[in-house]
Amino acid sequence: MFGKGLIKGLGITGKHLFNRKVTEFYPEQKPVLPPRTRSSMYLDVPKCTACGICANTCPNNVITITSGKDENNKRVLTGYTMDTGRCLFCGLCTEACPSKALHTTTEFENAVYVKDELLWDMMKKYKADASKQEEGKDNG
Amino acid sequence: MPQFGSDIFLLIANWIRGLFGANTYAADVVMDIVKFIMIYVVLVLAVMVFVMLERKVCAWMQLRVGPNRLGPRGWGQIIGDMIKLMGKEDFRPDNVDKWPWALAPMFFLGITIMVFAVLPFGRGMVPVDLDLGIFYILAISALSVLPVVTAGWASNNKYSLLGGMRSVAQMISYEIPLVFSLLGVVMITQTFKTSAIVEAQQHVWFVLLQPIGFVVYVIAAMAEINRAPFDLIEAESEFGCGYFTEYSGLRFGLFYLAEYANLFLISAVAATVFLGGWQGPFLPGWLWFAIKVLFMVFLIMWFRWTFPRFRVDQLMHFGWKVLLPLSLANIVLTGVGIYVYQLIFPGIGG
Repeated sequence: MFGKGLIKGLGITGKHLFNRKVTEFYPEQKPVLPPRTRSSMYLDVPKCTACGICANTCPNNVITITSGKDENNKRVLTGYTMDTGRCLFCGLCTEACPSKALHTTTEFENAVYVKDELLWDMMKKYKADASKQEEGKDNG
Repeated sequence: MPQFGSDIFLLIANWIRGLFGANTYAADVVMDIVKFIMIYVVLVLAVMVFVMLERKVCAWMQLRVGPNRLGPRGWGQIIGDMIKLMGKEDFRPDNVDKWPWALAPMFFLGITIMVFAVLPFGRGMVPVDLDLGIFYILAISALSVLPVVTAGWASNNKYSLLGGMRSVAQMISYEIPLVFSLLGVVMITQTFKTSAIVEAQQHVWFVLLQPIGFVVYVIAAMAEINRAPFDLIEAESEFGCGYFTEYSGLRFGLFYLAEYANLFLISAVAATVFLGGWQGPFLPGWLWFAIKVLFMVFLIMWFRWTFPRFRVDQLMHFGWKVLLPLSLANIVLTGVGIYVYQLIFPGIGG
């Protein structure tokens, strides 16, 4: 029948008018992302051997590593920065890491106001995170 | 039937007239001014409600919640919209035709406001009760094609001009089914007077006597005010924003206001002519009128957010080969119906 499609369309939009809305109220309500979402990096500093494979693997030269020697003449990490302005979060570095020190995380609110803040000091980040966890333990 | 609160506005009008005592001339002048201001206030308030309703209805139909920041559940968003529009720079491009460009939005809104003068907003609430009410509505609203084509031409922009040209083709084509669809009701009531048409619907609404006329009216009126699915004039994907591409700030705001005022207008005419105007039980007349107008507005929004836009040739095909014969057939049917009715009940009707 001519015009049947029109009525069907009106029916669908009419039904949608009363259906449950799918909007997520973002700032108040955080989204639940899949666990393997790659949107941020995290370095487990004690596990890192400063081998530099991650820096070599990175296609965009995001990672800069500085290392020194300790009293046993063993290499230790002294600095680990990521220029996330160039980073695609492809995850090649985490795959390459032999000691599983580098992870991708689901944290996604990475926007900053100044370009310099895009340079992430991963050791500082680890320390801040560790102290936060300490506080959590003390309070709990 | 006495209705609670039905005569509030009439009481106020009588009180204002009473202030002038025997000087009826002064009272008439003051009442005309008051009526004009009231039409303007009602129009602006209605447009605010419609814009908000449009955003919410469109969101709900797309499974969103729509604006949700300002006011309770986001219903105050329109205030933010208005402040944004008023705060924008009034920018005039270098090569526009200065005066026509500036006057077009004002005329567009002015013509729309003029039509509201003959609409019955409630029992005894017709600002100017012309004998040729329906004729006046059609004649004045037909003028609104001129500001659109003026804006398109004066903008000195090929996209604006294309939009203006399309508007002429579309509005003139759909004017004819629009007029014919209202003719059926005029044939039954034997009058052009809007208040008399509402009175005639005391027992049965004309949407039941004139279903074809109603359908043709709604479709043609939607095309007449350039609302989706007939928004070829401002088809964003084809040429920017059509005739108001070069407008910004308050001038764009005037076009926006006029567009929603036109929506109000066609809904109000549909409510008056087909849905019984202010007639209805229990509630005061002006409230019934508002409810019917809101129903029509919702219906038209429903169409807008369901149907995709027509192509230009489809539009012309539909207007001339479907709507026009349909409205002509409706007139013939109405005439035969009236003739048969008079044979059965001689002496009734003209």
